[in-house]
Amino acid sequence: METTASTKLTRSDLMRAFWRYLFLNQLGWNYERMQSVGYCAAILPILRKTRPDPEDFKEAFITNLNFFNTNPVVGYPLILGAHAALEESGASLETTEGLKVGLMGPLAGVGDTIVWALYNSIIMSIGSVMALQGNVMGPILVILLVFFPYLGVRYWQFFWAYRQGSNLIGQLGGGMIERITELATLVGLVVIGGFAPSIVKVTTPLEWSRDVTVRGELTTQTVNIQQQLDAILPYMLPLLVTWLAYWLLKRGWSPIRTILVLTAIGFIGGALGILG
Amino acid sequence: MLTAILLALWAYLCIYDILGPVFFLGFRPLIAGFGAGIIVGDIQTGMMIGGTLELMALGVYTYGGATIPDFTVGAILGTYFGKTGGFEVGISLAIPAALLLTQVDVLQRFLNFVFVHRADAFAEAGDEKGFMRMMWWTSHLIWGLSRAIPVFLAVAFGDQAVQAVSNFFDKNPWFNKGISVTGGILPALGFAMLLKILPVSTFPAFLLLGFVLYAYLKVPLVGIAIAGVAIALVYQQLKYRGQEA
Repeated sequence: METTASTKLTRSDLMRAFWRYLFLNQLGWNYERMQSVGYCAAILPILRKTRPDPEDFKEAFITNLNFFNTNPVVGYPLILGAHAALEESGASLETTEGLKVGLMGPLAGVGDTIVWALYNSIIMSIGSVMALQGNVMGPILVILLVFFPYLGVRYWQFFWAYRQGSNLIGQLGGGMIERITELATLVGLVVIGGFAPSIVKVTTPLEWSRDVTVRGELTTQTVNIQQQLDAILPYMLPLLVTWLAYWLLKRGWSPIRTILVLTAIGFIGGALGILG
Repeated sequence: MLTAILLALWAYLCIYDILGPVFFLGFRPLIAGFGAGIIVGDIQTGMMIGGTLELMALGVYTYGGATIPDFTVGAILGTYFGKTGGFEVGISLAIPAALLLTQVDVLQRFLNFVFVHRADAFAEAGDEKGFMRMMWWTSHLIWGLSRAIPVFLAVAFGDQAVQAVSNFFDKNPWFNKGISVTGGILPALGFAMLLKILPVSTFPAFLLLGFVLYAYLKVPLVGIAIAGVAIALVYQQLKYRGQEA
């Protein structure tokens, strides 16, 4: 059951796993086992080295096709690196599967929050606002802010996790993940608080006219409703719409149904001239 | 026809990018629209369509394989149609295209089970070479074609539809107005999706701070992001004072 003496991995073994990870990590993604085939492809160069016996290799090959799913940028390379270290130290398949299953869930949560929800939303809203102003630097900046940091953080994670090896779980358990997630969450809240009113655009062109008598003379006074709303709370309508969408999602509505409601409000309001 | 092929290839590349290297985040509408703009020779339209859809989809990702509208294809088609018909026509075709293709995505994610079953067979035989051949050459086909084929068909055969939509818009300016107001409102969805996954009720102060910075102090977006990092660091320093980092 336990594999024999450990086999030292070379840098080129590790790089081969890293390249395969980089180019194949989610390929063949499917509902049944999600990222399993991509993960297996990435770990195979390691398995071939640490398990010279064909039967032993075959068993590990089959086992590593089990269900796997985590964030492909933050999380996946960490698990892969730690897995390589465990293989090198001659760990059993139970141990390595335990590592994968134990880490993929928590890391998916952290990775999705930090990478998708927060980092991407920040660079994407800045890039989109620039693009909407006709500035080509918007999308170009986004590409640069994706290419280098992503590649760097993936490479670093993989080799860091490999060096940590079996200490990894202890390292991650020391509150580090919680702190990073909390930091990103707080930044995200500040950013959304400012970005939502700047990006959601809805005003009303409605005006209210009435005849009043000023010092015996009849005049018409026009009240601009938008100005009144701004005086009470700036960006009141964008906030209301955002809150409505949030409330619907919180009630369990799907994004697609929520889009339809927002579209109906915008379309009807715009067509009737209530919103502008 | 050449445009149809190039846009289909671009759609393929955009979806491959998120399945592997994530070099340029091509599946995001801003990038997909920008690339489509370069291909059709109208970068401005690409950025307008892509930027609008991107803001609409800010927090919208396939968390754990959840189903979301296909804004990638939406941005590519919207850019192509927007080049001839104008921004309103482009965006009003992009959104339904994105919603319709959601179903195609569900179907293709299901169909990909063939690769797992072939992989099982390769593993039983201990055939790493065969497995890797499948991984490099065919494992992206279903994902890629599920985007490339609709893009190709819509571009190759959709021009008449665009003409009809564009004529309709010219005759009915109220429709145009409805679409452009909708374009301004839809980004609320992206923010709402983000808020839903964040602990709003635990930390309402941070949300208010961001609002005040923008609405009253007129701080630009990058400034708000930097202020967010600063205040979050201060919070953590106070909270974890005396504890080991």
